[in-house]
Amino acid sequence: MNKNRLLRLGTDLFVICLGMLSLISPFIFPQASTLNNQAATFPIMISLIILLCLLIVIFEAQSSLLDSKMIAFLAVLTAINAGLRFLENAIPGPGGFSPTFFLIILSGYYFGSRIGFLMGAMTLLISALITGGIGPWLPGQMITAGWVGQSAVLVTFLVNKFALRDKPGEIILLSAFGALWGMLYGVIINLWFWPFLGAGVGQTFTQTASALENLQRYVVYYLATSLVWDISRAAGNTLIISLMAKPVLKILHRFKRRLSFQNQEVIRR
Amino acid sequence: MMNAFVWTLWLLAGLIFLLSTRNPIYLIITLAGLFILGNRLAKAKHISAWVRSNLRFLLTMLLLSTLINGLFSHAGETVLFTIPPSWPLIGGNITLESLAYGAVNGLVIGALYILFNIINLALSIKQITRLIPRAFHPIAMMVTIALTFFPSIQRRAREIKEAQMIRGNPMKKISDWLPILIPLLVTSLENAFLLAESMTARGFHKQVDLRTPRNLISLILGAFAVFSGWILQLYRYPAWITIVLYLIGGGLILLTLILIGKQTKITRYHHEGWTRLDILMSSVILVYLISFAYVSLADRLSTLSYSPYPYISIPVVQTLGVLFCLLPVFPMVLPRYD
Repeated sequence: MNKNRLLRLGTDLFVICLGMLSLISPFIFPQASTLNNQAATFPIMISLIILLCLLIVIFEAQSSLLDSKMIAFLAVLTAINAGLRFLENAIPGPGGFSPTFFLIILSGYYFGSRIGFLMGAMTLLISALITGGIGPWLPGQMITAGWVGQSAVLVTFLVNKFALRDKPGEIILLSAFGALWGMLYGVIINLWFWPFLGAGVGQTFTQTASALENLQRYVVYYLATSLVWDISRAAGNTLIISLMAKPVLKILHRFKRRLSFQNQEVIRR
Repeated sequence: MMNAFVWTLWLLAGLIFLLSTRNPIYLIITLAGLFILGNRLAKAKHISAWVRSNLRFLLTMLLLSTLINGLFSHAGETVLFTIPPSWPLIGGNITLESLAYGAVNGLVIGALYILFNIINLALSIKQITRLIPRAFHPIAMMVTIALTFFPSIQRRAREIKEAQMIRGNPMKKISDWLPILIPLLVTSLENAFLLAESMTARGFHKQVDLRTPRNLISLILGAFAVFSGWILQLYRYPAWITIVLYLIGGGLILLTLILIGKQTKITRYHHEGWTRLDILMSSVILVYLISFAYVSLADRLSTLSYSPYPYISIPVVQTLGVLFCLLPVFPMVLPRYD
């Protein structure tokens, strides 16, 4: 393993560990003392640490990947994807359904983990800028959407390992992956806000409770408030990937060949 | 137009205040100020019904938060009524205190949302994009291109949709959208290649190589120091350790970004300057922040916190606390400032 790959792997591991530790901090650091004030600072501190994680990955990715072609290509793809968010109302689908994940997953699957991460994170940033959705919730949304794209490389690995390229198995795997992230996205996004919702007995976060007890509270909270929403997102992802992935992958393949012209190194990464 | 950095400072001060207090009276005063400021900015931008839509959001959050806390948390001594304990999830006493606690949470969430909404209103997209540090120049370039392309992509999508509808595409099923997505992707990505070529022709051809392990490691160490400071704070270690770690972490990150930024040569078509009013406003906000830090650390403002448990009580108010609620007024004190 060369130095660059080692550095990238180390950065990824650090960011995933730190980001996840921040998000699951209510479960593993119940020592937060002053009930009211600590509960209030939780989401803002989590957002701050996630923002720092985002800066690290984006810095690493931009330094190793972005030449003029890649910048233009990703910018336009991101603008299209941000535009798809506005189609949420136009495309017939239940609440929670969002067509944005499909391009993020396909980008990560076809262009690799870094491009997938940038695609996810930047889509959320661009649409937040357009809709005036800048807020403390944005870093959490950006990093989770980034992880959606980054982890799509696992599908690439499975497809290559079992020689499923251009076979129905490829689309089935991608659809299953979309369904999985449809659920996971909601689970992770809720973590940012959940400790802030209140304290006391019941299904809300309690500092004095054990990690397992808080996890149970979170599960109950999640089932009560988000499950239906996330199921429709997962179903929407599955449907949209199974219907549209094949022709879109053909287009990405065509442009990948053109991107690789003059700059093989970018594509190899 | 007020400088974007002054607005960022204002946002920071607002965040710190809102996250430090649970006193409903302070929150209501701050919210009133935010609504007045927001309304003024919305009127200047000819945006109608800003107050109504934000008020609707605030009331929804208030209602939701009150209901969720009231139904799920059964703490408190003033029992209003009881839901049979056999009912899953919500069975138990519904208390006035848990409803009040939920309402206070709703006020904080609503105020945070409106605070950021005002920032979105006050700053143009161009100003927000400029806030991206120079060290992230390629990313800022990407954001600018995406924002520039966005309207034309939307227009093209509309044109393709109309053409499809003329050809009899009913646009009712998800699969009906494929004939829109495919031409949209192809034409837009073709445009991206044209843009890349013109960028190369104008000298943006070299692969940006800002990465040296030293820079990356500095950023990683900085983030780790901030994280450690926070965790130690949770474990009630002496406050100075946390402060030192925050300073080390923040300083390391800031220094690294400044040094990398200096290596990036950029030119500005329009430079956003600092007017005398900007300097005055940022000085006022800095004084506000320092004073607030002092009174909080010296425990001079005990009324910031409020808990309705175990028995609900009327929140106590201090004049000093009311003065700190006047943050939203700052950008309004100067007539026609914005």
